[in-house]
Amino acid sequence: MGQGLAGYILRRLLWAVPVLFVVSIVVFYMLRLAPGDPVDTLLGQRYDAEVAERLRGKYGYDQPVYIQYVKYMRNVLQGDLGVSTRHQDFSVKEVIVPKIRVSATMGLFALVIVFVLGIPVGVYAALSRGTPVDPLLIGSWLFLDAIPVFVSVIFAQWLFALKLEWVNLGYEGVFHKNIILPVLLISLPGVAGVARLMRASVIQVIGEDYIRTARAKGLRERTVIISHLARNAMLPMVTVIGLTLPGIFAGSLFIELFFGIPGIGRESLDAVRAPDFDVVLALVLFGSTLFVVANVVIDVVYGFIDPRIRVGATRGG
Amino acid sequence: MSNRTLGLMMGFVALLIVAVGVIFVVAVAGGGGDDDDDGGNAPASNGDGGTDTRDDGNQPTVSGICGENRLITFGSDPNTVLDPIQARDDVTSQYIVEIFGGLVTLDLDLNVVPDIAERWEISEDRLTYTFFLREEVVFHNGRRVTADDFKYSFERAADPAEFSPTVLLYLDEIDGVRAKFNGDTNEVSGVQVIDEYTLQIRLNRPIGYFLQELTYPVAFVVDREQIESNPRDWTRRPVGTGPFRLKTLNPLEEIVLIRNDRYHLGVASLEEVVFELGGGSLVTRFENDEIHIGGVPSIELAAVRSGDSPLSDEYRPALQLALGYIAMNLNKAPFDDPLVRQALALSIDREAVNEVLLFDAWRVADGILPPEMPGYDAEAVTSYPYDPARAVELLSQSTYAGNVPRIVLSYGGGGGDPPDILQAFQQQWQDNLGIEIELQAVETAAYLRELDRGTFQMVSAGWIADYPDPEDFVGKLFESTSTLNRIGYANAEVDALIRQAAVERDQELRYRLYREAEQLVIDDAAIIPTFWPVDHLLVRNCVQNWPDLGTVVPKFRYIEIDPSKD
Repeated sequence: MGQGLAGYILRRLLWAVPVLFVVSIVVFYMLRLAPGDPVDTLLGQRYDAEVAERLRGKYGYDQPVYIQYVKYMRNVLQGDLGVSTRHQDFSVKEVIVPKIRVSATMGLFALVIVFVLGIPVGVYAALSRGTPVDPLLIGSWLFLDAIPVFVSVIFAQWLFALKLEWVNLGYEGVFHKNIILPVLLISLPGVAGVARLMRASVIQVIGEDYIRTARAKGLRERTVIISHLARNAMLPMVTVIGLTLPGIFAGSLFIELFFGIPGIGRESLDAVRAPDFDVVLALVLFGSTLFVVANVVIDVVYGFIDPRIRVGATRGG
Repeated sequence: MSNRTLGLMMGFVALLIVAVGVIFVVAVAGGGGDDDDDGGNAPASNGDGGTDTRDDGNQPTVSGICGENRLITFGSDPNTVLDPIQARDDVTSQYIVEIFGGLVTLDLDLNVVPDIAERWEISEDRLTYTFFLREEVVFHNGRRVTADDFKYSFERAADPAEFSPTVLLYLDEIDGVRAKFNGDTNEVSGVQVIDEYTLQIRLNRPIGYFLQELTYPVAFVVDREQIESNPRDWTRRPVGTGPFRLKTLNPLEEIVLIRNDRYHLGVASLEEVVFELGGGSLVTRFENDEIHIGGVPSIELAAVRSGDSPLSDEYRPALQLALGYIAMNLNKAPFDDPLVRQALALSIDREAVNEVLLFDAWRVADGILPPEMPGYDAEAVTSYPYDPARAVELLSQSTYAGNVPRIVLSYGGGGGDPPDILQAFQQQWQDNLGIEIELQAVETAAYLRELDRGTFQMVSAGWIADYPDPEDFVGKLFESTSTLNRIGYANAEVDALIRQAAVERDQELRYRLYREAEQLVIDDAAIIPTFWPVDHLLVRNCVQNWPDLGTVVPKFRYIEIDPSKD
């Protein structure tokens, strides 16, 4: 079985290669077909036209796109992601890695909060079905979800920084307490989604025969809920968690803008606006890779939770 | 976990939600009416909400910001590396002028004053400048600055392999710069080392604003040893001669400058200057005592200026040495007919737009040169007033009467007027002239390319002074041979005045010649000047000697933080 699983993972990962290849070609062409290039923004308004031409020659932007692409890919395969035209003294890696670290750390905090709150809320709501607690509970979280981020952020900043003076708003690093507010603002709206999914899942599982069997066997309600009900109801959550994982690296643009957090959301916006060709490409390739890997991981984890899926997948795939 | 703990946990979660909900409702209800009280004394009694109370006893420093000798202001990421010959905009230059220095610099009144050159002599024909350098000036690494360093720096600026965008714009008058830039020579013949502390610069024509041009970063001195030992990323910790050194540069996060204790023009009082690059909520952060310098939100501007706001006594306007304008491509229909341009200029009501949309934030540009520019004279130059009747008349006399072609006004990356102002103009052109002008937002890169290639039709543009001389506006933008004259304007009379002004010895007469040229440009409606922008800042009272200056000059060495004044 182990052999089959390894082969399966390998095959799935190999499929990522053509996917990334296509993505890189499309994005590479799109960037270069758009009007304006990095040299335009690098030089701004004040420059002698000749410098622009020389610089295009230096970066190779004056060559046909397919030649530029071949050169770019050759460098990428050697581990060189190119240079940032905005920060020429930084390599692309140096530009994006610190920002990914910031966004991913915040995203991870947020993810934990979302699921730690969302799952129990969903279970509890499902178990209280038919009482006012269920709609009230889900409703309160939906209320949070429904507040647009530009309202919640400004309000929260006013309340927690100006009124209550619990936090400051400046970015002081991801492990500073100032990060609590932005992390909560990212995570709390997401709780409703997870809770509702969990609630639906629990309600479905509650009707299953094995729950009835477990209860009929005279098991204690706690055992039924934890070992039989929750465990099975968790299955759909694996997909959700898995698909959320690449997202935490994407950062939250609005939150990063409002709190001045040097994350990947702001970096992406700046890079696209510049445009900073190599940085944009690196970000896109990174994102695509994550997505592919996350999907593989989900499939594998499913196999551990539910053996039926593993067997089917290894045979078919 | 027992059944009871599970139940308790659920109960806690529910409680938490209710608490969060209550805080929201209470605060929204309370915040709607009067959220302008000082907010300093609300007790933190809602602690049972649980989610936001992770207060580790490390209270925010409420009064501490004025207790440290460290100025915290805001800024933007530099647009280029921190190399003086690459800087071409005010954002990057504001860091460059603090870290580097040149022969001369600007004081807070925009006068050219000695920097590394202690004094200078100008020859009778005004073609040869001899600079006598101070002998005690050192780079940040302690190495003494000599005339050789200047020769190296000028030649590096002109080196074609360095791709300096500005060397031909600001140093082309130095003999041999263009030859070196074109790769014809290895040396800049016009820059000669006489002895260790004497530098001679020879010009190819006698211009009256050469010293002003030398205050632009491209003329600054750099450390040859550092650059040659670390050509790729020396700019991460550049060695200059300025009043501050670069301590940290974290893109999107912060730039920290630290005092140069051996600065030759007087060591700064501030130990550090922190530029926060995050943007974020500057006003809230200012009110929350996190930063010394903030910005006034436009909707509060009237209250702040009239003195009705708690922020009023910290309000400081920064008058920019800049102009916002509408540029038209004079080679394209219908702008090849001056009557059309004049009609367009006459039919926008800039006063009303400023009052209604900008809360009087800016100043209506009654001319091209901003009032803070040397040589400005309010009486001598006037722009077209708002006169729709005359506009209609002029349009009817034009060759495009009744058949104005489709006009696209693009905006985006050139520091022009914001879109809501352009919409107001669009409406006024429609109402007063019946001309429908299409607004088109373009990306910065595309905008700059349109401008450079001359493919634009009409754009919202801006110009920020590089150095305080009328030449930087009138000559750079409107002389027919200037690289930066992107509108295709060519008026022999204007050219003659500009050329005469460039070499005129009498300063007052020089300024007058520029003003005459400026008025001709306006009469031709070569551009439509709109506003002279003003930044509206909030400056903590403990920050002393903050100059009300919207121009890039080295200024942080004058600033002191006085905790007793807060």
